[in-house]
This record gives sequence, structure tokens and C-alpha cells, in this order.
Amino acid sequence: MTHRWGMAVDLDRCTGCEACVTACRTENNIRIAGPEQSAKGRSIAWIRVERYYEGEFPDVRVKFRPVMCQHCDAAPCEPVCPTYASHHTEEGLNAQVYNRCIGTRYCANACPYNVRFFNFGNPVWDRPLELSLNPDVSVREVGVVEKCTFCVQRITAVKDQAKAENREVKDGEIKPACVQSCPTSALVFGDLNDPENEVSRLSRSSRGTKLLGDLGTLPKVTYLQKVL
Amino acid sequence: MDLKTEQKINDDLLRPLRHPSGWFYLLVAVLGTSLLMGVGSWLYQMSNGLVVAGLRWPVFWAVYITNFVFWIGISHAGKLISAILLLVNATWRRPVTRCAEVITVFALMIGALFPIIHLGRPWLFFWLIPYPSERQIWPNLRSPLAWDFFAISTYLTGSTLFLLLPIIPDCALMRDQMTGWRRRIYGVLALGWQGTTKQWHRLEAAMQVMAIAIVPVAVSVHTIVSFDFSMSPVPMWHSTVFGPYFVAGAIFSGIAALIVAMAVLRKALHLEEYLHPVHFQNLGKLLLLMSLLWGYFTFAERLTTWYGNAPAEMAVFWETQTGSYAPLFWTMVFCNFVIPFPILAIKRLRTITGCVIASSTIVAGMWLERFLIVVPSLARKNLPYTWSYYRPQPVEIMITIATFAAMVLLYTLFSKAVPIISIWELKVGGHAQPLLTAEEEEEQRALWRVRP
Amino acid sequence: MKAIYGLYSNPDSAQRAVNELRRQGVPDGSITVITSQPYEEYEFSRRYKQTWIFWIAAGGGALGLTGGLTLAYLTETLWPIVTGGMPIVAWWPNIIIMFELTMLGSILATVVSLMVTTELPTMRSHVYDAEVSQGKIMVAVEEPVDEDVAKLERTFRTSGIQEIKRVV
Repeated sequence: MTHRWGMAVDLDRCTGCEACVTACRTENNIRIAGPEQSAKGRSIAWIRVERYYEGEFPDVRVKFRPVMCQHCDAAPCEPVCPTYASHHTEEGLNAQVYNRCIGTRYCANACPYNVRFFNFGNPVWDRPLELSLNPDVSVREVGVVEKCTFCVQRITAVKDQAKAENREVKDGEIKPACVQSCPTSALVFGDLNDPENEVSRLSRSSRGTKLLGDLGTLPKVTYLQKVL
Repeated sequence: MDLKTEQKINDDLLRPLRHPSGWFYLLVAVLGTSLLMGVGSWLYQMSNGLVVAGLRWPVFWAVYITNFVFWIGISHAGKLISAILLLVNATWRRPVTRCAEVITVFALMIGALFPIIHLGRPWLFFWLIPYPSERQIWPNLRSPLAWDFFAISTYLTGSTLFLLLPIIPDCALMRDQMTGWRRRIYGVLALGWQGTTKQWHRLEAAMQVMAIAIVPVAVSVHTIVSFDFSMSPVPMWHSTVFGPYFVAGAIFSGIAALIVAMAVLRKALHLEEYLHPVHFQNLGKLLLLMSLLWGYFTFAERLTTWYGNAPAEMAVFWETQTGSYAPLFWTMVFCNFVIPFPILAIKRLRTITGCVIASSTIVAGMWLERFLIVVPSLARKNLPYTWSYYRPQPVEIMITIATFAAMVLLYTLFSKAVPIISIWELKVGGHAQPLLTAEEEEEQRALWRVRP
Repeated sequence: MKAIYGLYSNPDSAQRAVNELRRQGVPDGSITVITSQPYEEYEFSRRYKQTWIFWIAAGGGALGLTGGLTLAYLTETLWPIVTGGMPIVAWWPNIIIMFELTMLGSILATVVSLMVTTELPTMRSHVYDAEVSQGKIMVAVEEPVDEDVAKLERTFRTSGIQEIKRVV
């Protein structure tokens, strides 16, 4: 059975701790921008926690929303890439092929969620941080666009393991770095093709909405929040 | 016309080629320096990455794409003058055609450079070209950038040929009139042109066909450039009016650039006897028309957005009307409409100087318009957490200035190599009405018939 | 000899010369009129001659259209990659590619046919005189029969010319 990877984010559980952001950065060899370049908007965060404030003091409420690539089924970033670097895999992932990217950044402009990032310069890790690089993930050079891959290296690793053991992938077996590190289990990842999976059940929840769903991008990440 | 006039025309129009003045060398030196600085900036950018530019998340396109759209827009000068006016038999266009076509070709060449300059990995730009690679992977034909490649290549090929074909008879003329090394070079370039009736007939027929072909190509080129924006769901980019809006804006800026070029040439090369106030008057009227058309499109687009009241789009809308981009926006409206309109509408003000003033403000205003299409929408996208700003950096400014310098330099060099006014076309303008065949006589009688 | 020609300073006398030559029985194919600009108001320009160039341009356009169609279909089906939920062979964008290649085909066909019919670039030496660029009109008879040369000279002279040249 083909898989269809999706995610559910429970906003009522998210505390805004940003453990997911840190874990993703470490897992995926995301380059360090430094304070100067970050101020110029060059830092990369494949998953970010958006923070919105509502109300006036002392009645302030803070809303947290982790935003990562939504792996849209009708992704606006895919048809605009002139070199097929951004395309849709059979398992529903929006793939970014770094070797094919020539850096037109059209995909980054077309993405309404702004989850695509550009490597303005060559990556630099001050010693001894280069020892923390993940050997399963490539290091992107200057001039290519990168984004969340749903930790495709972990997906592939688990699928290979399951195939070697002649069994199906179990629900909850694949944990992308952000899902693994979330202390409140607000992030859930799984195969949307299996209706009994946790992620499929959460996607059907009455608390579920899609971010910018009216744009017609058909995102595969469902955000859960109690509206009332 | 008599032989003395013919020879005078030859001498006048060939004088810039024979005797370049001291100013020419000075101008080439200054422009060449600016161009070299631009090239140096680009090399600096290529070796350090786009980190030296002012781009940031999420404003990934800015000055380079502005320049791209701007120069492709300027290249529409030739389409209107050479092609459309040829097809409607506007004979006053004859001294102006080559000026316009040269602008087209050079502006296209410069504009086509910018998609390469703004790439993250420009050394791989050739992946946009459809060639059979060893992995059999081709460009994505669904991408507007792939359409850009096809459209700009076709337009560049067509415009270059449209420029070069009528130069052949002038090369033959120069081969006969010049001496020394110039004679040898033009002799080669003339390709053995004789001037038999058959050759003239074929050449004029070919120019007719090319004029018919180049008009839809030019319309499609700037439409496809506009599709770079309208094919993405960015607020205030995803507009159905972008195709015609951009084409109208392109013709608008093209005519303005042409008027400026013509006025400068007239003074610098002493062509007062060939470029008359009537040319500027007529082009000025066309410019007025395009200014009104531009104003109409801008108004229609903004009114629809305002009525729609979509939150994402209104964020961009107010940012340009009253927010941080308001000074640029209102300067643009001033430059494109408020200043040119009275100058071009009032006959007493529509002199050569008046037209040049109006055109200069329009060129600046149109650059601002392109900037205001690209940057505010990216700085105010759908999710407010991602709102940002953009500041151009010295590298980008240097490269922009260098492209203006490159344009003027190429134009200057061209005017010293080829007569900037097409000599044979000018002479034809002095002839009487063409002789008609029997069918054509019949056709004319029918066209001018007075119905009972 | 290769040709005998006269140089006329105005198109009226050139037209008279051509008419005279025709009455003399010189075939139209042997009369060559060379000018520095096209004279559409005179009959010697033979403006009325049929031209196939529109059909050639249309043919080139048809070639371009098929080329565009083939390119789009073949390249899209070679590596079927899904982008944005669009079909593998997406007809709307393909129309744009086909249009551009159609126009390119017609433009190139026009230019190629122009080069072929005007015999440019040419290495063969044709009859020509540099004085044509000063505005004079040359009326030439190519490959005249030797006996007729004197008669042709007289014809040229009566049309108002002092100077007759021969090319051997």
C-alpha cells in the first residue's frame, strides 16, 4: 500500500517551547546565520513557531503556531520551478532536489506559508559544531533553496528497516525530529492512507483546520484548536 | 529627389561614422568604467553569494527582477514604431525606425542578463535551455520561467533579424562611400547586396511579414514576464489584469525611452534636418495615450482590490497607498501621470524639450512601478508573522547603474558603426505615391467609393 | 561581355530607357535595374510580382508548431514528474511554448527564404557600379549578344545619358 505522509499539530497542546525548532536544526544540518545575518533576515528555520498576541494587558493571550512545510497536494511551489527541483513524490511529499536547484527562488515566493528558505551564503559551522552534523542529511551549498522534508531520511530508514523485517511500517514508528522532541506530543506524524492511524483520526477531528486552506493549496498538515 | 540631396543625406548620416568627436571617446571611457564596475560587482556577488545583496526572507526578489521587467519593457519601443507603424503605413516613422529597433535589441540583451544575475547558482543557468542532457531531464515547461526563456529567445531573434536585414543595403552604401579598412569591413557585411528590383521587392516583403510576426511575439513576451508574478498566489500578484497591464506599461516606457534617445541623438549627431518636431509631436501624442492607458489600468486594478477587501491583499494595498511604500507610490503616480499629462496634452507644451522632460519622468516612474509590483507584495505576504522589508545594497545599485551605462554605451557604439537613421528608408520617404497594378487600382476605387 | 549598362540621374529617364529596351525586343529577364533605394512609383520596380513569402512564413510557422508540440509532449512524458497536482502533459502551458515556437518558425522561414531568393551572401561578382550609392539608377543588359551592343548603346544614349559602361 502506498503511503501518504501527513501531520497533525494540536495548538491547544503547543506551549511555544521551540524544542521542535532546535531538534529540526540539529537533525537537518541547518546552517548557522549568526546575529548579524539573522538581523538581515538570512536565518533558516525549517519549522518555526509563530507567536501572535491577542488583547491588551493584563488580558493578553499568546497564540503559538508551529509552521513547517505543509507538503501541499496542489503546491504552488512545484509548477513554478523551471528545473523540476521542487516536485511531488508518490508518497505525497513535496521534494526539494538540491542538486537541481539553480536558485531562482520562484518557489520561495510562491509558497504562501513562507516555509522555503534560501542559502544566501555558504554554510559555516564554527568548531566544534561541525561534529554535530547529521551524516544522513546533505549539507546545502550557497544558492539553493531548502525546506522541511518531513525528515525524509528517517522515513526512508524506517521503511527500509520494515522491508528488511518483512513487515509494514507501524503507526508512530516514524518520528521526524520535531515530533520526537515535542514535550507535549502536540505534533503527530503518520500515514494518512491508513484511516485508523492517529494522524488520520486527528485530521478528521472537529477541531481541525487547514492553514490558509482557502487558497486551494490542499495542505496535509491539520491544525487542531478548540474554537470557542 | 536630385542627386545633390541624395549625396547630402549620405554625407550627413555618415558623418558620425567617419568623424567621431572627442566627446565620443570621453563618453565611452566614462560608460566603460561604470560598466566595468558593474561587472566587478557581479563577480563579487557570484563569489560571495547573494548574501551581499539586500534580499532577505521573504523578500527574495527585488531590484534585479525590477530591472529585468523594466528592461524587457523598454524593449517594446521597437515593436510599436517599426512594426505597428510599418503595418499601418505611417510614413513619418521612417527616420525613427532604426533608433527604435536598436533600443529593442539592446534592452532585450540587457534584460535577458538579469535572470542570470539574480540566480543563486548562475553557473547553472543553462539548465533553462531545453537540450538533451545525459539524464534526459528537461526544463519544466509548466514554469513561467521556462516560458520566459522561449519568449525572450524568440523576441530577441526576431528583433535582431528585423534590425539587421534593413542594415544590409546601408552596408552596401557604406562600402561604396567609405575608404580604407571601413570599406573592407562594410564590404563583407553587405553580403554582396546589389539593389536589384528583385532584391528590394523581397526585402520589403520580408520586412512586412516580420512586422506582422513580431507584434504578437512582443505582446506575448511581456505577458509571459507578467505571468512570472500572476501564476503565484502572492497577494496583489495573482491578478488577471497583469498581462495587459504589463504590455501597456512596456509600450509606455518604450516610447518614453525612444523619445529621450532621439532627442539626445538629434543634438549630439546634428540630425536636426532629419528628426523634426513633428516626430516628437506624434510620439508625444502616442505617449499621452499610453499614459492614460497606464493610469486606467492602475486605477482599475486598485479599485477591484479595494472593493474585494481580501485581508491579505488589503495589507499590501494600504502599505503602498499610505504605508512605508507610499512615498515611492505617489512619486510614481506623479512621474507617470501628473507631470506628463499636461505637458503632452497641451500642444504648446508638447515641444521637443517638453516631450523629453515628460519621457524622463516616465522612465523613472516606470522603474518605480516595477519595484512597487515586486517588493511590497513579498514584504506583506499571507502570514503576518513573515512581514518584512527590503533595502537595496551597494552591489545591486552598482549593477543597476552599470546596466544603464551599458545601454547608453552600446547605443553610442552602434551609432558610430551603422547610421542611426536608415538611409534608404529615409530616401524612400521622399518619393511620391507607389504605382498601382490593375487590381490595386480597383481595390482603391472600391475603398474610396461614395455609397449612394 | 558580361553586361552593358547606363547610369541615369533620375528615375524618369531610367523608366524611358527600360521601355526603349523592351521595344527593342530585349527580354525582361535580361534587363537589370539597380538602385540605392526601392522606387515603388515606377514600373521598372516590378512591384506587382507575386511573392510566396507569406506562404513560406506560414509553412515555417506550421513547422514551429509541430516542433513545439513534439518538444512539450516528449519532454513531459520522458520523466513523468507531478508538480502542483497538474497533469503530466499540461496543455495550457504547452500552448504558450507552441505559440512561441510557431512565431520563431515563421520568422526564421522568412529570413531564410529572403537570403535564398536574394542570393545573399554571394561570392560571385555581379554587375554593379559604386555610383549607384550616389543616387544614380543603373539600367543594365546582362550577357548581350555581340551584334546588339551598338544598338543597345544607341538606345541608352537616346534615353538621356552621356556615359555608358561595359563590363567584360
